[in-house]
Amino acid sequence: MFYTRRDFLKATLGASALSSFAPAVPNFLVRSVMASPKRDDRDTVLVVVQLSGGNDGLNTVVPYGDDEYARNRSTLRLPSKELHKIDSVIGLHPRMEAFMRLYKDGHLSIVQGVGYPNSDRSHDGAMRIWHTADPDQPACQTGWLGRAADSVWNPNKTDTAAVFVGPIAQPFALKAENVIVPSIRSLGDLITRQMPGYPKNKSQPKHAAKLRRADKGNQLLDFLQHSTLNACANSRRIEAVAKASANTAEYPSFQLAATFRTVAQLIRADVGIRIFFTEFGGGGIGGFDNHANQLGNHCALLHQLSESVAAFVRDLKRDKLLDRVLLMTFSEFGRTVKENGRRGTNHGAAAPVFLAGGRLKGGLIGPRPSLTDLDNGAPKFHIDFRRVYATVLDRWLGFESRIVLDRQFKPLDILNV
Amino acid sequence: MIVQTGKLPGQHRSGQADPTIAEKLSEPGWAWAAYQPDRQRPWNLAQAGHLYRRAAFGASWDQLQQALADGPQRTVDKLLRPQADTTAFNRAYDEYETSAGSVDALRAWWLRRIIQTPHPLLEKMTLFWHSHFATSAAEVNNARLMQQHVQLLRSQALNSFQRLLEGISRDPAVLIWLGADTNRKAVPNENFARPLMEAFTLGPGHCTEKDVREAARAFTGWYVMRGRLRYIPREHDGNVKHILGQEGKFTSDDVVRIVLEQPATARTLVRKLYRWLICETEQPDEMLIAPLVESFAEDYDILKLVETMLRSNLFFSAVAYHQRTKCPVEFAVGIVNGLEGVISTTQLAQDLANLGQNLYNPPTIKGWTGGRHWINSATLVGRNNLAVALLRGSGPYGDKLNPWAIAKKHECSTPKSAARLLLDLFLQGDLDPEVYDTVLKTAQASASVGGDDPEGMVRRFAHTVVTLSEFHLA
Repeated sequence: MFYTRRDFLKATLGASALSSFAPAVPNFLVRSVMASPKRDDRDTVLVVVQLSGGNDGLNTVVPYGDDEYARNRSTLRLPSKELHKIDSVIGLHPRMEAFMRLYKDGHLSIVQGVGYPNSDRSHDGAMRIWHTADPDQPACQTGWLGRAADSVWNPNKTDTAAVFVGPIAQPFALKAENVIVPSIRSLGDLITRQMPGYPKNKSQPKHAAKLRRADKGNQLLDFLQHSTLNACANSRRIEAVAKASANTAEYPSFQLAATFRTVAQLIRADVGIRIFFTEFGGGGIGGFDNHANQLGNHCALLHQLSESVAAFVRDLKRDKLLDRVLLMTFSEFGRTVKENGRRGTNHGAAAPVFLAGGRLKGGLIGPRPSLTDLDNGAPKFHIDFRRVYATVLDRWLGFESRIVLDRQFKPLDILNV
Repeated sequence: MIVQTGKLPGQHRSGQADPTIAEKLSEPGWAWAAYQPDRQRPWNLAQAGHLYRRAAFGASWDQLQQALADGPQRTVDKLLRPQADTTAFNRAYDEYETSAGSVDALRAWWLRRIIQTPHPLLEKMTLFWHSHFATSAAEVNNARLMQQHVQLLRSQALNSFQRLLEGISRDPAVLIWLGADTNRKAVPNENFARPLMEAFTLGPGHCTEKDVREAARAFTGWYVMRGRLRYIPREHDGNVKHILGQEGKFTSDDVVRIVLEQPATARTLVRKLYRWLICETEQPDEMLIAPLVESFAEDYDILKLVETMLRSNLFFSAVAYHQRTKCPVEFAVGIVNGLEGVISTTQLAQDLANLGQNLYNPPTIKGWTGGRHWINSATLVGRNNLAVALLRGSGPYGDKLNPWAIAKKHECSTPKSAARLLLDLFLQGDLDPEVYDTVLKTAQASASVGGDDPEGMVRRFAHTVVTLSEFHLA
């Protein structure tokens, strides 16, 4: 009351006006961006892991108790004494000891025989189907997670709902009609860079958005100011998390583990990202495509997958974030039951989907696919992959799967929520 | 040197402040009449900047000054029909593109053309049609066909929508993209007929499934084989079809003619262009656009339609001013043009793709939705980081952009006068006066600390200006 607003600005802010928070921020912005609790604690996060190339489900979740397994896999059969046995028929691959620990702790569920009718056996075709979630329309132009991001877009909330983390081109699953889904390789891609040359003791005037403008009645400008503020706040959170936790959590030295570390940091930063998409196998016709000499390569991949996921779970659990996170793997197809004479396997159909997180009911889900009643030489599907999608959309993220998948698929009862 | 002060803001908005102008703007006759500046609605830097944001990709200081001297209508003349030899310029670029060989190279050449062209409005409209027909290289997978496609868009971008649509219906890239490269008599392919009658022309809800099926029969016989269009007469269904109330032994050309005869076509396109050139925040009343729709339906002359819009009282009013969000290309090229530089467009094409605008790869058949969808936390950080990369004077973009050199060229001798110039160049000084003052003071403070060099200081200031919320407004 002693100041005009102009004097107030001068007196309070001075030259460093732009780098400090609060006083110059219009009240409605303070409330919405900084002052209120950041967001709903119940906001859940989905992490999707694409296993590129067609993972051999039968040498991952191994039906060692079924004689047909040994009969069909003369060179690729895994010795049953080395398996991590789940029951008298099923065991996990020997190098998936970390997954076994997660399974015992109730942090891992295995959905068996996931697929769809008339399985597509080409990498591109099958992957496109898993990405669009629309086997009937090959020309579908959007991905299921892109549509999910579109479905929750709200002009007043400019956090980005979905992100791709990885070094390859953005997978089609994230293709949206309206929203822009970013691809990042590291946290740095989501942090505001500064112009060189600012004196060390002064931070950059990057928060000019915080300056109060006289109301011009331009809602688009208000929106941009609000978005810029929110973007700055999110960038700061990510920066803070990157500094605080750079080396504290233990991850193995695999590329996939590094990706999960980035995801964990972004979850910790709490910047509103609900969907993370990651990839393992290198994209294209990926590393899981083992037509020859499958054993060693597959072994290494499963080991990396299981250790990396376990490190991710451990990291989140330590920070009490695991209850908010659900991880899900998928591959474009499984492989044939019979090996192909070159110590490898050919393109198949249904395959298991792994789910990891803090709110799983755990266990094996769905019937075990038969090894004699086959879909063109490969295990048949029992659970439509869109039921898994509907589960994570409806029951986990709280999105409307009917909008995303165009019809209602029955969710699976696998979550404690 | 002419430096507009920061006191101009608000003047251009007098249209809103004055109820009689707001009233007059709702009368189509007055709204679309050519704008003649008067005391209430003066021609100033803000209006010139507005025109250059919409009809081009931003302006240099000289262009703004020339526009001030020329007045609005003469400036529009030049933007519509530049005196420079645009044909020779475009022919040269067509040749560069022919030898490009990859879509990545094509993206870079297009951006370079956008930056260097003497006819930026032509590129603005080519970009508009690129989003309208939304053909994606990711599906076509053939750089030569994509180059021909964009060349078709450019050749008609300011000419005839009828010829454009005829070209589109024979364009191998479009047919491959839509999965309409095979049109057998026995199995009519609806993949082209449907978008032709919906997204490309009538908009949703103006034709029935039966119309689409019948139109698909008219397109039988057309194939794309090894990247070339072929017509196989024996595969054409020569029987009678019923399309949108008309009956006859229609061919593909007839379908194009019939959709162009529908009033909905002109209306859909006028609305879409209104959103591109005038205002994306509010839909115009039917009555307001009626004269444009009627006129466009007569001859589908795109230049005439664009000309009416750009010259109008409505265009130079608060209805249009700052009522659009810049797309990534406008954001980046606006910086480049303002600073009169030429940068690596290979890098730029990739950076723009990361911001959501991957040229030659529109996301879906609906093109880029744009508007507020361009903006989210990640894309704003991305725009900031792109501005840093462009302005820092080293790194992938090198030192091609130098705001201090530009300021000195325009007779600024101190960082402070350079800062004022940059505010006028990029925002025409149209900034809330308090923000204007504070931003300037911060710049001075930054300069005084540690005896900084003026170039670095002006670079940092330029970055501050182009990351203000106002700069994202088109």
